Amino acid sequence: MELDQVTYLANVEHPVQLGYMIAIYFFYTGLSAGSFVLSSLGTVFGIKKYMPIAKAGVLMAVALLAIAPLHLIADLEQPGRFYTLLFHVNPRSAISYGTFLLTLYPINSAIYLWLMMRKDFTVGAKSLTGFRQKLYQFLTFGKTDLSEGAMARDEKWIKRLGTIGVPLALLVHGYTGFILANIQARALWHTGLMPLIFLMSAMVSGTGLLILVLLITQRFISPERAITPERKALIQDIARLMMWFIVVDGTLMIIDFISLYFGSAAGHAAGELFLYGSHSTMFLGVEIGLGLLLPFVITLWSKTRKSLKWISFASVLTLIGVIAMRVNFVVGGQQIPLSADVLNPYYVEPKHLMFIALFVIAEVTILFVAFKFLPVYGLGKSSESRLKVKQEVLAK
Amino acid sequence: MAEKKKRYGMVIDLRKCVGCNACTVSCKIENQVPNGVYRTWVKEIEKGTYPEVTRHRLPRLCNHCDNAPCQAACPVEATYRAEDGSILIDYDRCIGCKYCMAACPFDARFINPIRKTAEKCTFCYHRVEEGLLPACVSTCVGGARVFGDINDPQSLVSKLIGNNPVQVLKPEMNTKPMVFYIGADQDIMGARYNNLEKGEK
Repeated sequence: MELDQVTYLANVEHPVQLGYMIAIYFFYTGLSAGSFVLSSLGTVFGIKKYMPIAKAGVLMAVALLAIAPLHLIADLEQPGRFYTLLFHVNPRSAISYGTFLLTLYPINSAIYLWLMMRKDFTVGAKSLTGFRQKLYQFLTFGKTDLSEGAMARDEKWIKRLGTIGVPLALLVHGYTGFILANIQARALWHTGLMPLIFLMSAMVSGTGLLILVLLITQRFISPERAITPERKALIQDIARLMMWFIVVDGTLMIIDFISLYFGSAAGHAAGELFLYGSHSTMFLGVEIGLGLLLPFVITLWSKTRKSLKWISFASVLTLIGVIAMRVNFVVGGQQIPLSADVLNPYYVEPKHLMFIALFVIAEVTILFVAFKFLPVYGLGKSSESRLKVKQEVLAK
Repeated sequence: MAEKKKRYGMVIDLRKCVGCNACTVSCKIENQVPNGVYRTWVKEIEKGTYPEVTRHRLPRLCNHCDNAPCQAACPVEATYRAEDGSILIDYDRCIGCKYCMAACPFDARFINPIRKTAEKCTFCYHRVEEGLLPACVSTCVGGARVFGDINDPQSLVSKLIGNNPVQVLKPEMNTKPMVFYIGADQDIMGARYNNLEKGEK
């Protein structure tokens, strides 16, 4: 008898359950964790040159994590019961302790952000006029002490909250990898590397989005309305960091796939599917080729790595690549059958696509409003002096 | 000697299974399982080519594992173990996150499209409580399905497990299933990966 002469006559279909909503949720938390870690380079790790992006990074981290959990709630079959996650605790469930991480981390980050902006709020409440003056007045929450002692205390607390924030950010994203890693049923997910892979791709995409947001907001929203030479140098520097994140991410991916390919039957099948099968375009083409390899070349090659246009192109590519990675792993991992002889189908719910689109709109709006009205890049010169500069430029 | 706790389990003697799907149907009726989803079903394969050919069937249901990954995965502890050892779901507590469905290595769970919660075989807890057998067991024409207390050495399930070579699904997953098979073929017990994309080529 030929050993592959087995025909399935009757079985029940088991479609993929955790779909795009979950993949995109992982994408958001990754962006959040990545931008938080980058912002902490200045405040926590004391690398002075990264100080100018500290506020932008945390603001992004908070704004992204405000929207991210909505994906999870909208994906529930019983969304009205989501709040029970807070008082029905199962310490063995990654989702259960993730709930608390997802609650603590944005609160910590928001306080941390407020402390960094308190000085600007206080100054702005006095010097500005109109809506922003009222807003800043409110946002000082009555804490208008700008004495040296008060500022030193702020500094201390910024450092403390940042120091708590970094492990929290890593945990928030590490746990999303762990959600997959501790499912022994799914060969593609069940590896100790998964949280690390998720963290590194979070760093890659977080850097990518930070670069894009910095470029757009500095050019069009910041008081200077320009990418000054210092800002340009810093963005080139961050692009260099992104290259190293890509190197680590790519290395982890190679290690993961080698051990997967030479692992269990299901793991080998997953490897075949991703490397040679129908998923190879999404995996090798989009995730690895467009998402890692091309940005790596752009940020490495001396002719492209200095150009802001190329850097922003590379950043867009990393975002596309990491979205592809999340989808490949979340959906692809469940397509490998557990009891069938064909891939499990994935039926996309139109409702879910609609939610994803809505949340993207909400996210962009939040980011725009926050960067527009909060003193992310300081208060700038007064409007008069700005006018003067403009006239000088025109005169030249 | 102190009496051991009840631990319900099932033995499915495949030598007696004719693949009639009476269990599938009776389960559907008994538990009002909606269209398109199944608490129990019968997998069927054909192995070999004529004249060296056999058909194999494998009735499938929740394994009520001793070390249940679904129970560990549930973030709100809606999945719990009853006093008789069976794994049940509190439908009023389930939030429908579907993490248990990802965690079950046996595809035993599904979303009830009407109730909007996770669902699976309960070993007919409501019948067993009343002293009846699970619907699939009482309806099985060949007597292939045997249900009873595994901790009771006098029960038929205990005797069958003790006196026959038995198999469980995916022992390497370390979930310790409580559904045992007699005469199961390895080609039907898990997934087959040799040609996963046949439909797409």
